[in-house]
Amino acid sequence: MLRAIFLLLACQLAGEAMHRLTGLALPGAVIGMVLLLAWLAAIPRERPTLTAVTGWLTAHLAVMFVPAAVGLIDQGNALAANGIGLVTATVASTVLTMAVTALVFRWALARFAPLDSTDSMELAE
Amino acid sequence: MTGLIATPLFWLTVTLGVFEAFDTLSKRSNRHPLCHPVLWSTPVLIGLLLCTGTPYATYREATFPISFLLGPAVVGLAVPIWAERARIRRLALPIALALIAGALTSIVSAVGILALFDAPRDLLASIAPRAATTPVAMAIASQLGGVPSLAAVIVLFAGVFGAMCATPLLNLLGVRDYRARGFAVGVAAHGIGSARAFQVDRSAGALASLGMALNAVMTAALLSLLAVFL
Repeated sequence: MLRAIFLLLACQLAGEAMHRLTGLALPGAVIGMVLLLAWLAAIPRERPTLTAVTGWLTAHLAVMFVPAAVGLIDQGNALAANGIGLVTATVASTVLTMAVTALVFRWALARFAPLDSTDSMELAE
Repeated sequence: MTGLIATPLFWLTVTLGVFEAFDTLSKRSNRHPLCHPVLWSTPVLIGLLLCTGTPYATYREATFPISFLLGPAVVGLAVPIWAERARIRRLALPIALALIAGALTSIVSAVGILALFDAPRDLLASIAPRAATTPVAMAIASQLGGVPSLAAVIVLFAGVFGAMCATPLLNLLGVRDYRARGFAVGVAAHGIGSARAFQVDRSAGALASLGMALNAVMTAALLSLLAVFL
């Protein structure tokens, strides 16, 4: 368990270091995610503990951003001045993104990946 | 006694307690998007800060052990991506094309529409990573000079709205393939959308989580490129 936590922290630390050293604008944790992906690909084997630890973290993601969301307490002016714009932009952008992604996926599926057996089996389940 | 209110122990206990209470209600509602526990814990905690006269800086420091976990959690998103590698290889082109189209649409439409309302730059920077999962969106927003707490709430709102409109919207568009539906929900409405997708169909849920994880990387990469060139 400690080893899995160490692996996550080490990837994040390395990502953070690369972020600072190279001036790469990607956040350190995102670089860390890519590094962990590279690590998993480099040494492929079963990792039940790592899967359990990351599964626990993902399952509790919501509570982790509560402290940040409470920061809204200092954003009253911004919300009062731009609330309508923020809501409109968020709603419209969510609808457009979902529509474009679904339509492009469907088009590419028909064009490049005609029905493959594995996934259609899953659909039949 | 009043000194106790300024301690991390107090605010950690209160934060977890309030969250757990709303999480129980959310479970009872069968995880309805409108009952998302963050949606309700946030105003209650803001009320408690106001009642006790606690400055946000004190609260933020006190709850640092909770927010610290966001970093390792983001790194850990690599594990589900890796687990889905066979499916990614099989559906490489649809996934890649839909991801790029979706990520670009999200950034351009969110920033473009908000700019029409003459919003200041820090708000544009806060809404740009709207489609990325919350921890990544917060990191990108602060990188671009935005407000992380605003980014967190925008992402949360997008997730709740996206989870609620997914089924009617995709039916209206006539998209029936559960892989296309799931992926679109994950790209547009991240974790809250994925949770909803898992309730509807297992393969839609798997594709939704994949869309969420990949879009976190794609949105971060696109906005980093933009930040370099602008």
